[in-house]
Amino acid sequence: MQSRLSDTELIEQSLAGNQSAYAELVKRHQRFVFTLAMRFTKNREDAEEVAQDCFIKAFRSLVSFKQESKFSTWLYSIVYTTAMTSLRKTRLDTASIDDEDTLIQVANVPSGYDTDNIENKSRSFYLNQAIGQLTADDAAIITLFYQGGQSLEEIARTLGIEANSVKVKLFRARQRLKEKLERNLKHEVKELI
Amino acid sequence: MNSIEEKLWDYIDGTCTTAEREAIDLLLIHDEAYQQKYLELLALNREIAAMELDEPPMAFTYNVMETIRADYARQPLKARINNTVIKVIGGFTILTIAAILIFTLVNMNWHSIHQVSKPAVNVPDIKNLMTGDVFKGFLFFDTVLVLFLLDRVLRRAKLSKQA
Repeated sequence: MQSRLSDTELIEQSLAGNQSAYAELVKRHQRFVFTLAMRFTKNREDAEEVAQDCFIKAFRSLVSFKQESKFSTWLYSIVYTTAMTSLRKTRLDTASIDDEDTLIQVANVPSGYDTDNIENKSRSFYLNQAIGQLTADDAAIITLFYQGGQSLEEIARTLGIEANSVKVKLFRARQRLKEKLERNLKHEVKELI
Repeated sequence: MNSIEEKLWDYIDGTCTTAEREAIDLLLIHDEAYQQKYLELLALNREIAAMELDEPPMAFTYNVMETIRADYARQPLKARINNTVIKVIGGFTILTIAAILIFTLVNMNWHSIHQVSKPAVNVPDIKNLMTGDVFKGFLFFDTVLVLFLLDRVLRRAKLSKQA
């Protein structure tokens, strides 16, 4: 019954003390929040911790949410801030593609695709691998744009930058993704030969 | 100057102007290199868009809600009291005291203040107040307040039942 309610209605109920309404909000957004956290942390355990932290922070600050933007935009800005803070603390990111640890982590990133479909699996695997090799900022912008369905203006609000800067960053991120994807595929072909 | 790729990405994202769109439409018809690049970027765009989201652990929502519940339980009672209620009660008390003080001062017989035999204060006739319009207004205000509070209590009880 609650799945039909909008985010705004669920927020109102949560503010009135209905915790199951907030649980519904968590269920609704958890996959994307977790994916976005994964883009920063590169491993499931840390991503889970960051994602949980985000939902708890969001619950505590729900009263201050003015509803001037979508709840998802507000939530993603919390994810971005929390993940960046976590990243600074643990110094997990910023490794280059030559870094062996990064490659191992990237290889462990689950693709979520059907394992029987080899062609699809390999394409999505290499795409995931290439995204894993991007910097956190690049990966986050791509994820927000494609998986989060956010407009350039919404991403700008989430990241606290200008929409034009987002456009440039998105373009560069896609370019780097394309380069890395091509490099990984070339490397794979070489290995097969 | 924008590169071909940048223009094509704008075209794919739908962020270019009508004039730019029309120019690219023409280029896509006549320029084979442009067409090839466009198809390449379009394929990549589709692949990224088709990527699935990662699935958090099964107990993710449960863990979040448990942490929130534990957090709420740990919160001291002092922090849970609504400050607005305290302010309203405080304001009401101060206003009542001020009203009584003003009323007393206005009704005070200042001429007889030095006469020890007479009381300095004229005690107001409470019986008149009890039957007057002021008392009816007071009762009406109280009734509305009680109904308002009852409504809030019942709403909360209903919501906690749903939870």
